[in-house]
Amino acid sequence: MSGVDTNGKGGRVTMPSASRLLAEAWTVELEDYPLDLRWSVDSRWLAAPPSHGRILVLDREGGVVASLPGHPGGNGGVAWHPQRAALATYGQDARLRVYELPAATPALEIPLEKAWADRVAWNSDGTLLAACAGRTVFIAAAASGAIEHRLSDHKSTVCDIAWNPQRPREIASVCDGGARLWRLGEARPFGHFDWGGASLIVTWSPNGRWVVTGDQTPSVHLYDVGRSHPLHIQGYEHKVKTLAWEGDGAWLGSGGSASITLWPCTGKKGPEGAKPIQLFGHLKEVVALDFVPGSSVLASGGRDGLVLLWMPHRSTDPALIVQRRTEITAARWAPDGGALAIATADGDVTLCLMNPSAAAKP
Amino acid sequence: MNKLHRTPVTVLTGFLGAGKTTLMNRVLTEQHGRRIAVIENEFGEIGIDHELVINADEEIFEMNNGCICCTVRGDLIRIMASLMKRRDQFDHILIETTGLADPGPVVQTFFVDDDMKEKLCVNAVVTVVDAKHIWQHIDDADEAREQIAFADVILLNKCDLVATADLDRLEARIKAMNGVAKIYRTTNAEIDIPRILDVGGFNLEHAIGMDPKFLEPEYPFEWGGIFQVPAGTATLVATRNPDPSMKLVLLPVGSGTDDALAQAREQAVRNFSSLEVKAAAPGTVISCDGRLHEMLLGEGAMRWPLHIPEPGCYAAFTEHYPDELGLKMMVAEREVTAVCAAAYKPDHEHDEKVTSVGIEEAADCDGKKLNAWLSALLRDKGTDIFRMKGVFAVRGNPNRTIFQGVHMLLDAQGGGPWGERPRRNSLVFIGRNLDRDQLNASFRECLA
Repeated sequence: MSGVDTNGKGGRVTMPSASRLLAEAWTVELEDYPLDLRWSVDSRWLAAPPSHGRILVLDREGGVVASLPGHPGGNGGVAWHPQRAALATYGQDARLRVYELPAATPALEIPLEKAWADRVAWNSDGTLLAACAGRTVFIAAAASGAIEHRLSDHKSTVCDIAWNPQRPREIASVCDGGARLWRLGEARPFGHFDWGGASLIVTWSPNGRWVVTGDQTPSVHLYDVGRSHPLHIQGYEHKVKTLAWEGDGAWLGSGGSASITLWPCTGKKGPEGAKPIQLFGHLKEVVALDFVPGSSVLASGGRDGLVLLWMPHRSTDPALIVQRRTEITAARWAPDGGALAIATADGDVTLCLMNPSAAAKP
Repeated sequence: MNKLHRTPVTVLTGFLGAGKTTLMNRVLTEQHGRRIAVIENEFGEIGIDHELVINADEEIFEMNNGCICCTVRGDLIRIMASLMKRRDQFDHILIETTGLADPGPVVQTFFVDDDMKEKLCVNAVVTVVDAKHIWQHIDDADEAREQIAFADVILLNKCDLVATADLDRLEARIKAMNGVAKIYRTTNAEIDIPRILDVGGFNLEHAIGMDPKFLEPEYPFEWGGIFQVPAGTATLVATRNPDPSMKLVLLPVGSGTDDALAQAREQAVRNFSSLEVKAAAPGTVISCDGRLHEMLLGEGAMRWPLHIPEPGCYAAFTEHYPDELGLKMMVAEREVTAVCAAAYKPDHEHDEKVTSVGIEEAADCDGKKLNAWLSALLRDKGTDIFRMKGVFAVRGNPNRTIFQGVHMLLDAQGGGPWGERPRRNSLVFIGRNLDRDQLNASFRECLA
């Protein structure tokens, strides 16, 4: 790496190297371990929350659009509004903040109950914000910040939440015990899946059919919401920390080992009885997966410091290998598919631009 | 990450009011030159100088449908994952559990969770015991017993409130439950911090070296003492009856010294194994000639006259601690105290629920047999085995092999070369309903 420069807004910029498919554009260093990377809906801005310290919002050129104060006790998740450049940040101070960027002062600040607090999510129409604090999921009106619902049927701290992309008043939550599916306004969950272990992450398929969890016991649970039918997939080596959907939910990508497992989620039975696609290339556990929106091009990041690009329906060999110095913590495609942001445990956030002539969309 | 570079974790347990918080505050405020993150029990985060205090909420994750051996602490997984993501790493992590916490899931978390296993290691379980009030819990509260059973280090705290003889009795009782733990007597939890932070994990050799009683023989009695009494009649008075009866041997000795007591002890062992037992209901005269008596215990104050043929020193060996019965030696209605006394590691299952079994064999063992034996043993008996620690000499391996287990979970580590040290196998099990003979016999089958 060469050409280190300081941009004066809380990040250090390193100038690029290049490859055929992806061209490395810049690197910015965060104050601490990058927890996640999230793109704004228009692909202009990238939010990068470190575990502690200031949350950076970067533009496509590596410029710092905003340097937002971190949450005392540690940052949690961040979430972009589905329609505009509003960013919600959350953390262990249990204060949910909403910024109308590029303004760096919160337009809204909602104090929640002091408890373990790190997940936040907008619903699909941007009218509601959900955040977990301890065993409760709080649903706030995005316009006023008023708490409209408290979802409390959890036997332990809520580990993750996911809105139904198709129904803006349905949300899934997971904790020790399993998953709950909620319809706002109803007192009890309409789906209640206690499988006896702890689920750590949850995702709702873009078509709204599947709710999928990654579990502490190395496994994945899929719930076919319409049929109220659970499936349990075992055989992973590690707890499953990353899941990703191809397209509207045709394929589910899962980590949980050094290989990537893709499950077909179409047809009446979905992955039940089906043969998955397995992708081998990483040397250590895969911790980040993301499909190019509207495409089957997949980026994977591993604890081996490798980012691999795959076109799994063409080949099970990686199309590109990018080597970083330390383990990958996040890899996210911009919604327009033109850039891949990569974060590594040493604090670096790197933007790689897709070479339009080389990128192929099957 | 190399196992040698994992961040050490100390788990601090202890029944309610034992002094955990006092000890933790010492760790946080004393100058010990290391950065420590402390995990407490209430939610929040407080920074104290270079330390960090994070509060937890003791949530259990069940890994395999409720199997006790696979429960872990979900809150610790979250907190530790967060700690490991800090750029300013800590030298040591101290986890304070609540008084009623089961230490099992805490320790198991570091064996089971992938991320914890890789980056952290349990350095020691430190249990603080209220030396004055533990007797109220030690028989009835599973939590108190398990906290003792899991410990690598035990602080007998509040020693200023307890007589030395009672501390001896308590220490012997605890050693019968956990023969490996290093025991310190403290007041206000005053102890050199390195003694609880620099334990070095499951160092069995260290434990044996520090506690020569660990592998010593067991005795058919818990207590022995020498009384100096005049000729004539003395009286044994008991006021409690924890059991229907208690065995006793009284015999003359030459002096009131520790040596004399040790010599008499061998005689008493032989007499305790006698098939001739003389039942002694209250009021029955007990002779001081070495015969084995069985005092039959009833209600209220019970008295047994003693025939003292000539003045001098007499040693008494009792199946249980005298305090358990409120047993006193009286001469002319005045209590006579022992001029010297000792507590012994009992061979009877005084606490059949929690005991420790140590095994030592000088011969090399067969690695395959050892693996198979440990796997089968922990699979079949893991629910009852709180902890297992062992240093093994495996045939063909120039290095020591170290195993440590928690319930059904087993972790193996290379222990470095034997060098000049004699090759031998040393292992200990701490748990419920352990069959010493069976464990010994089955381990011997692993020898090469």
